[in-house]
Amino acid sequence: MSDPANKDDSGLSPADYETFCTYLRERTGLSFTEAKRYYVDRRVAERMAAVGADSFRDYLNLLRFQASGEELQLLVNLMTVNETYFFREKYQLDCLVNSALDEVVRARRPGSRVRIWSAGCATGEEPYSIAIMLLEYWKRVDEFEIELYASDIDSRVLARAREGIYEERALHAVPQELVAKYFTQLDSRRWQIMEELRESIDFSLVNIADPKQVAGFQSFDVIFCRNLLIYFDDLGRRQAAAMFYEALSPCGFIALGHSESMSRMSSLFVPRRFPDAILYQKPQT
Amino acid sequence: MALVKPRKPVEPIPTEDGGDPLLRLEDADPARRRAAAHALGGRADAVDALAKRLPREQDASVREALLTALVLTGTADAARSILPLLASEDVGLRNGVIESLQQMPAAVVMPEVAPLLRSDDPDLRIFAAQLIGRLAHPDRLPSLIGVLERDPEVNVCLAAVEALMEIGRPDALPALERLATRFPDDPFVAFSVDAARRLFSGP
Repeated sequence: MSDPANKDDSGLSPADYETFCTYLRERTGLSFTEAKRYYVDRRVAERMAAVGADSFRDYLNLLRFQASGEELQLLVNLMTVNETYFFREKYQLDCLVNSALDEVVRARRPGSRVRIWSAGCATGEEPYSIAIMLLEYWKRVDEFEIELYASDIDSRVLARAREGIYEERALHAVPQELVAKYFTQLDSRRWQIMEELRESIDFSLVNIADPKQVAGFQSFDVIFCRNLLIYFDDLGRRQAAAMFYEALSPCGFIALGHSESMSRMSSLFVPRRFPDAILYQKPQT
Repeated sequence: MALVKPRKPVEPIPTEDGGDPLLRLEDADPARRRAAAHALGGRADAVDALAKRLPREQDASVREALLTALVLTGTADAARSILPLLASEDVGLRNGVIESLQQMPAAVVMPEVAPLLRSDDPDLRIFAAQLIGRLAHPDRLPSLIGVLERDPEVNVCLAAVEALMEIGRPDALPALERLATRFPDDPFVAFSVDAARRLFSGP
């Protein structure tokens, strides 16, 4: 029940916050203390605005009673986006090297280009993971010239990506032999990705919602855009999908985060089920 | 070979000056029609041209761009221009129209869609109920409850039940119970109302 008398302008009232946290814990196991107040308030406010809920009570009713449970899933997705790490959602990277790239190059001559874009690359774990996966596990890697682009809207995280220095938490999913092969240990806590990899990726400051900034992003074979579009509204996702459509070559692929579905954003792409993962493909024509 | 330094920078490909994008909507090349539609997004003076192209457009990517352009415009004219396509036999187009109307401002769309609940065509009333269920608008609940209480066609009422269950408003339960008394012999109504009862009793 909303408690207007006790509500401040910055978010939920204390009673509403407790109600919300109790509900979320019972339904999902996710637990948020008072210390996470700002984090929770901001995301609940975003979702309330997105669905047009007039009050917290209306929004809680939607979470509790919506037949499809879609809103609860969306909220959980927002609440669980943590800092990224190397080889996150590795099944999609496996899909890239085991299936998608072989299909991309099927009709290409050796020596031709393959272009991959990591959109929303944050501090660089994703594009470096792609690079390592290609070098280690794609059998035809030496037959083609592979261009790897990475972009983000945040210049601070891009600077960190270019620097390529990570702590152990970011590397926990990387096999030890690959850490030894591709990283240099700087001190007891930090590792830096090797210079050759840092220099082989083009990091750019790009707002994917700005058509002028993405106009030059063309002829990509694979785009990774994982856990980025969850921050967009429906129209923003639809426009982003249209932009990726223009950026991809015919039959190119796009990989979304595990909780995202292209069919809810746009009808432009065809889902393709591979042994390791589902990707979305731009049709031939 | 393997990883190579990308050819920096990614230069924007010069866009061909094809004149007025309104004229290019009829170009033979789908890529040029799509680019024209993108360029016309948000332009109130392009609503008629975009809407007229839609039912004739066979390329799915251009159709998507036409609809997106109209959503970006987001005016009552834009909403009104695609409402007749709810009656299209083309399921893909119809679904695209419903999704697009849902993405326009609810305050703009609701006054245009609500009258369809009184259409003579029950299919149109079904689509209207589905769409209204997705509009974040204060009239949504009373409109759907009005369907439950007055619409003579059971399938329209069931569409409203489904929409109400998706909105997640337990205060609709009394109206749902009354619907069960309006169609006492219809097993689908009994099933749906029972499902709503169970849903609204809450986790």
